[in-house]
Amino acid sequence: MPDNFLKRRDIGKLIASVRDAGGRFVAPALAARQAVYKDISSAEELDDDYILPRNSYKELVFPQTEVIADFTIGKDGVGLKGRDVTGRDTVVFGARPCEAASLESLRSVFTWGFIDEFCTKREDRLVVITIACTKADGACFCTTVDLSPKSVTGSDVALSETDAGDYLVHSVSEKGKAFIAKHSDVFKAKPSADAVVKPIIMPERIKGVDLEKIKKFLSDTAHYENPVWPELTRKCIGCGACTYVCPTCHCFDITDEATAYGGKTPFEGERRKNWDACQFDNFTLHASGHNPRDTQFKRWRNRFMCKFNYYPKKFSSKGCVGCGRCIRVCPVRLDITEVMEAISKRP
Amino acid sequence: MNNIYLPQLVTIEDIYEEAPDVRSFRLVFKDKFLRDSFEFKTGQFGLYSAFGLGESTFCIASSPTRKGYIQCTFRRSGRVTGGLYDLSIGDTMGFRGPYGNCFPMDEWKGKDLVFIAGGIGLPPVRSVIWNVLDRREDFGKVTIVYGAKTVADLVYKNELEHWEARNDVRLVQTVDPGGETPGWKGKIGFVPAILEETATSAENAIAVMCGPPIMIKYVLNALGKLGFADEDVYTTLENKMKCGVGKCGRCNVGDIYICKEGPVYTAVEVKRMYNDF
Amino acid sequence: MENALRKKAKELLEKGEVKVVIGFGWNRDKTFTTPVFITKPEDAERLVWNPLCVNNLSVYLTRKFKDIQALGRPAIVAKGCDIRNILVLISEGQLKREDVFIIGVTCNGVVYRQELRKGELKPEIMPTKCHNCDVRNPHATDFVVGDKSDFKPPESPTGMVFNKIKEIDSKEATGRWDFWVNEFSRCIKCYACRQVCSLCYCERCITEKNMPQWIETSAHPRGNLSWNLTRAMHLVGRCTFCGECERACPVNIPLNVINQKMITVVKDAFDYKSGYDEKTHPPMIVFSPDDKDDFIK
Repeated sequence: MPDNFLKRRDIGKLIASVRDAGGRFVAPALAARQAVYKDISSAEELDDDYILPRNSYKELVFPQTEVIADFTIGKDGVGLKGRDVTGRDTVVFGARPCEAASLESLRSVFTWGFIDEFCTKREDRLVVITIACTKADGACFCTTVDLSPKSVTGSDVALSETDAGDYLVHSVSEKGKAFIAKHSDVFKAKPSADAVVKPIIMPERIKGVDLEKIKKFLSDTAHYENPVWPELTRKCIGCGACTYVCPTCHCFDITDEATAYGGKTPFEGERRKNWDACQFDNFTLHASGHNPRDTQFKRWRNRFMCKFNYYPKKFSSKGCVGCGRCIRVCPVRLDITEVMEAISKRP
Repeated sequence: MNNIYLPQLVTIEDIYEEAPDVRSFRLVFKDKFLRDSFEFKTGQFGLYSAFGLGESTFCIASSPTRKGYIQCTFRRSGRVTGGLYDLSIGDTMGFRGPYGNCFPMDEWKGKDLVFIAGGIGLPPVRSVIWNVLDRREDFGKVTIVYGAKTVADLVYKNELEHWEARNDVRLVQTVDPGGETPGWKGKIGFVPAILEETATSAENAIAVMCGPPIMIKYVLNALGKLGFADEDVYTTLENKMKCGVGKCGRCNVGDIYICKEGPVYTAVEVKRMYNDF
Repeated sequence: MENALRKKAKELLEKGEVKVVIGFGWNRDKTFTTPVFITKPEDAERLVWNPLCVNNLSVYLTRKFKDIQALGRPAIVAKGCDIRNILVLISEGQLKREDVFIIGVTCNGVVYRQELRKGELKPEIMPTKCHNCDVRNPHATDFVVGDKSDFKPPESPTGMVFNKIKEIDSKEATGRWDFWVNEFSRCIKCYACRQVCSLCYCERCITEKNMPQWIETSAHPRGNLSWNLTRAMHLVGRCTFCGECERACPVNIPLNVINQKMITVVKDAFDYKSGYDEKTHPPMIVFSPDDKDDFIK
């Protein structure tokens, strides 16, 4: 049974009340002809036709680029000041259940021993509102990784769309309950009796994929040198598109940049934390010239291992949620599920 | 807010020329409280900042038995190390750490120790060596096998002389064929072969080594021939790092994150790793 | 047509003339084409040819792909537009003509992006390059597959890219600047544009050179602008308008517009179009003593 009911026409009211309280309302909207998560100010901006936004909402907790410290170098020496993040109340509306499951995986990394408060402080103030999928495309494979359009992992409030375009509301987490209570004027107490839920689309489970077999194959260090790796990934061109749209990829670089140069004023600069991708050849390149992952298949293998072996083993979290973004953006259509299938078929 | 990426400011108190393009810095924290309270263990590493250029990872090359400062040794090879190399005594740089695990030195009490290092791999081993020499009575025989490409490339030349002169240390120095000078009194040959020649006993002994990936593989073989069991062989691995705290995703050797689960490993663990060096 | 292609590929592999055939194959669901590397004669059956074959496979001939080069002499399935890139590679000393067997395919146009294809290929879903194509009958080939096309490109170029160029050209300088700053602001620095480009063959890209750091790696407006403008400049006189960078871009930056604009500038200044003749060098990489400008003397 749903807890509440949300009228489509009340979304504008919800946006306004979130924004009036100083918050951010992020939802799928069109940018350059495709749906992306965007900070929106009115319900008109919402895209009605999206399957999954092109970008992942991980950027709300782990931005593409952010300053972690400022420094100056002048006559009086070096000045250094770390940046603080307090976070901002943020609602992500219309996220998909697959992607919601990824936050747990990000959290595992960013709280592993040392706590990256740049991420955690933002996550603390993030409310994730998912909508069960009524559409899918050929790249969707959530069911193959044991998730489904009905999953609620990582979601704070889960919505199901009705035929009339309204939503049945299920509060999942405490955060979600608090959010609904706070906006009780739009989350109506009782679903209208005639509300019929639109059919949920279940992507077909890819028959040839066996997650247990994959796990076993990957855990055996002897398979690391298997010729299957260069064969399956030969077409990879080594861009970072897959990792940047991936909701669980978390790799980053730390780099210094100048903001003002010398002269009369001191040298001023920022230390930034930027997304980086294990697919780039200089990602692991030592200054000595040695590179442990010196060819593309080794870099691709690392990404696959990371998702289906290293992180599940370390954190028992999902390394891959089956959102299919990496498949959609790949310029050479290197389909991760085809690799999963090929590996499942290994003896 | 606790910013795990924020370095501490340190002053360069002294600079030592170790070899062509290799320098050591003696660093003290600007913050007085930290200067007195900072602690680390042998084997741990840090991230060193040249502001405006970035951070670079090296081990702490000094021994925790020497208080009040830390020392690092690096070769000028990239943007950050190039920037650090250009700094002078009195200049400020950044330090984050200590990070990583350490050598279990307390377990080694009463044992013989053999140290094997190649080129710029001596700094992490140096921390162990001084730690041992500063409490010499805790350990048995000490053998050091150290080699570099050429005589000029040997680092810590003063200390090598000092170790050579001590009668409680056996130091075997070697250079690669062609790297010798006319007056060279040490050996000529690669470290693994020279190590075998030393015929160091594996009886009640621990081996500690550091060097380039290729050397590690051959030294493991040589130690095997000398009778060392894998669990008595320690090494410290290095990989490119950006965060040092298990987040940035690049220092992993297979499923093992060197920054978080290393950098110190036994040969048992090394042999179990994915071939991802 | 596919049969002729497969037959030739099989024959080349059987005779040992080539060790690998770089071509197109189907994905699992036969909904998308994807690059394939055929090394066994019996696998030649996997080769396909249709309007979804959008990739410019010439990227796999560059030194970025050492493991593919290690397979031995390649044959490549190439549209006329792809062959233009191969000829630029040859003219820039990246490849010798005899190092590659070119299986040219006659082409009646491809889709702009594969996901757009539903049913028949219609002009609306073809990229601008196809509307103005003068190499539908591939040039500089070793073997041609397909019937001769009698398509004649229009006198003056047409299509969305050219319309957009006209629109941007009509703006004031500040308007043009704002347009590009805004477009580039979406860049996420995934470098798909660079990686998919066969003319971006540098083993160390300018973005990876950090002593000094020529281009800021952060994906902020400043870093995005310097990356995208630098790449455009590095392609001047070389880019063939194959459109791979724009196709690969996950955030839909109209890279075709900036690249075609530069092509037009080069055409007007030097009467040069790249990729038609491997013996002529792109104008920006040669110096001629009788250059009409004297700034360099």
